[in-house]
Amino acid sequence: MRSPIVRTSARVISPFLFLAGLYFAAHGFLLPGGGFQGGVLLASGAILLLLTHGREKVIRLEENIDWFETVGLVIFLVAGLIGLFIGGAFLYNLSPGTPMWCIVLDVVIALKVFAGILALFIYLFGLGEVRGC
Amino acid sequence: MGATERTKKLVSLGVVLIIGLLIITGLGLEYQDKEDSPVQEYLEENYEETGAVNLVESVLLDLRAYDTFGEVIILYIAIAGVIILGKELRKNKDPGGEKR
Repeated sequence: MRSPIVRTSARVISPFLFLAGLYFAAHGFLLPGGGFQGGVLLASGAILLLLTHGREKVIRLEENIDWFETVGLVIFLVAGLIGLFIGGAFLYNLSPGTPMWCIVLDVVIALKVFAGILALFIYLFGLGEVRGC
Repeated sequence: MGATERTKKLVSLGVVLIIGLLIITGLGLEYQDKEDSPVQEYLEENYEETGAVNLVESVLLDLRAYDTFGEVIILYIAIAGVIILGKELRKNKDPGGEKR
């Protein structure tokens, strides 16, 4: 994994993966896609960086990964509760007629899935232990 | 011994089939009224209600938002378990141990 070809191409490809993930998440109301798929794409970009550049590049992400997860769930829950108080039903659509509700929930789900898949990868494969790859 | 096993299997198969038939006929699942079902109504009014062109997304986040919420919670619990186990394993492993 220390080959310069692999490292350079990963560095080139991963921003596009992040961009594609955000695009899929934010355009879920127009195109096939959505929060889960966008989150997995985001996570694949991060995993590519993690595999090729070692743990040091993503160590801050790894320390905060459970916060990402929890914050995503709490935002979803708070959105549902706001709908409960305003519209009278849990997860009531706060913006009827406009796709804002879908966009916000999709991006939140994407961030949460991103943190989740990355955490699965890091902890299940023991990558936190690997120093030099 | 083999014969009793076979009769047991046949009896359980029959029971399953009968229960399935009862559920299908009892709940009226054998035919679907496509014209005036609530789903059809939703499909027609979907765009005005959610503003989402993608029908799947509007169903996932508006009509079946509970379902999505449950998926998110399941993912959260699974990953919380993985993180807890991973941290415990990392803590218990001796620092000079074998390298993975």
